[in-house]
Amino acid sequence: MAALNLNRIRRRLKGRVQEVFVQRERRIFIRVAEEDLRETVKTLIRLDGFNHLATITGVDIGPAIELIYHIIYKDAVVSLKVQVPKESPVLPTITDLIPGAVFYEREIQDLLGVKFEGNSSSSLFILPDGWPDGVHPLRKEWTLGRISKKVRRLW
Amino acid sequence: MVKAIDIPFGPQHPALEEPINFTFEVEEERVVDVKIRLGYIHRGIEKLAENRTYHQNVYLVERICGICSFAHTTCYTQAVEELLGVDIPERAKYIRTIFCEMERIQNHYLWLGFTAKAMGFETLFMYTWRDREAMLEVLEMISGKRVNYGMNTIGGVRRDITGKMVERMEERLNYLEERANYYKKVCTKERSILKRTVGVGMLEPSDALNLCAVGPTLRASGIPQDVRADEPYAAYGEIPFRVVTYDGCDVASRILVRIDEIIESVKMIRRALDGMPQGPIRVKVPKNVPKGEAVSLVEAPRGEDLHYLRSDGSDRPARLKVRAPTLANLPSLRKMLKGVNIADIPIVIAGIDPCLACMERVILVDTKSKKGQAWSGEELWRYANEWYRES
Amino acid sequence: MVILMAMEDELLESLKKKPVTLRFPYERARPEDRMQAKVTWEIEKCIGCNLCVKVCPSNAIKLIGRGRKAEIRYHVGRCLFCGECVDVCPTKAIQTTKEFELAFTKPEEMILEFRR
Repeated sequence: MAALNLNRIRRRLKGRVQEVFVQRERRIFIRVAEEDLRETVKTLIRLDGFNHLATITGVDIGPAIELIYHIIYKDAVVSLKVQVPKESPVLPTITDLIPGAVFYEREIQDLLGVKFEGNSSSSLFILPDGWPDGVHPLRKEWTLGRISKKVRRLW
Repeated sequence: MVKAIDIPFGPQHPALEEPINFTFEVEEERVVDVKIRLGYIHRGIEKLAENRTYHQNVYLVERICGICSFAHTTCYTQAVEELLGVDIPERAKYIRTIFCEMERIQNHYLWLGFTAKAMGFETLFMYTWRDREAMLEVLEMISGKRVNYGMNTIGGVRRDITGKMVERMEERLNYLEERANYYKKVCTKERSILKRTVGVGMLEPSDALNLCAVGPTLRASGIPQDVRADEPYAAYGEIPFRVVTYDGCDVASRILVRIDEIIESVKMIRRALDGMPQGPIRVKVPKNVPKGEAVSLVEAPRGEDLHYLRSDGSDRPARLKVRAPTLANLPSLRKMLKGVNIADIPIVIAGIDPCLACMERVILVDTKSKKGQAWSGEELWRYANEWYRES
Repeated sequence: MVILMAMEDELLESLKKKPVTLRFPYERARPEDRMQAKVTWEIEKCIGCNLCVKVCPSNAIKLIGRGRKAEIRYHVGRCLFCGECVDVCPTKAIQTTKEFELAFTKPEEMILEFRR
């Protein structure tokens, strides 16, 4: 089942993908460039068996932040990877394509500092009020000790 | 034209079991818009998990939620086992399946009581919670604990089900099935329940799909999506079962979906107990996990639960992402709340079975800084003064 | 068919029954055989191997000293009662008890020490 899906994805995405691999049955990972994100998502949600977007994972990988869009199909889970540079982490929103992504994007904005054009809000969603600017707790440079030093004066 | 006003709802509110803040924009009695603010019970579990070993994290992940603790540990251990490349024994798979279903039964009984309370039907609340004890006793008998069972471990399960326990389980299962049938009768006939739930909190199937709803909320809109059927984990591939759907799209359908799932779960546990093979229940696993990444899916009582795990080859995870079902259902909840009466807000919120502790995980808990978090009266007073001066 | 009180017979029947709850301090439920609560050490058996410290998910155990002279400091307030230390102990020096009513008046009392 997965193989069929993979060929279809390859054909539909044409030259956009940087890397596609099947980790095991039902698990497909795709890597695309930042600017191709919206087009790829648009193509992926039109494929047969599309169900929903499970979540967006953000991982700090040193110089960049990797966002992984987990898209659930009837017969596979496609994880779409995109990297944004840490200095200017801005991505276009996908909430107009998948309205259910709104809270996942807000969560990432708070915790990893990635801005989503079209879905950014200056108010905090998950972090407490009065949280210092620029402290994004899931980034690796913010260790537990550093965060608590910065935040101790808040409470 | 009536001017819309904002009504804050929560974080502390009698209709909410856990803290969350809604701001309702209200015109007369109708809700027009909803704003949601989270973060009141954020405990920093994702960050904390990066600082602990894989084995210690089993217990941390278990404490994401008190009610669906087994679903979270199953999801996490599955991801670690996938990275390690170990195959757990057949008997362990069956025990995991049985526990997942028992947890579903106790969760749905709890939810039924909670919903009954949200609509002011306290009698039903008391009765369902009494019956839930029957399931909790079985869970305690097998695992030694009532909620956070400590059953799952990387490479299998920690405790076995003996023949004597099976007898006691079957007796309790008969009782629970009989009660579930009775509650189904009550919920389809009782006038006060029907008046409060039929046609309330509508979620059309197309909206449910667009807003990425999961679990019983989605199945009550008539879409048969269930991780157990789509991607059989543990022993679900060997146990036949029916995916329960109703197409009422309202709170009444959500009640019926869950009651039917209780009945279905009882049948599944019986089948699993019959087909359970003999053998070992756990295998030994190495401490360090090879480099790689894994996505693991589990159908928790509230819906699809996703764990993403990335390893860098050490004994601690590089990243653990947990997406609990309630966060996936929040956009649909916002949709459902638009257009309802103020008086129906609690029942609609209860309808998705919100578990906020599950949903919010990140930020920090540092034992050293805890001291600074407690406020003395003077500090509070100073803070309040400063706050008012600024605004 | 819609009826006014669907739980009528159930409620009438309940009038004849006693409450299902226990009057706790006077009546107690019998603990299950597999129940795990506070753990204790038989310190003579301890060889100071440090395994329980490493396996503990909540860092509740501390080893003071080394080898056969080691002493144990056990933080009851942090303990999750998971029983991993009991399973891992090579000399069976750790046992679990059924003592679960663990309220203390002072924080110091939550730290138990097992000396030789």
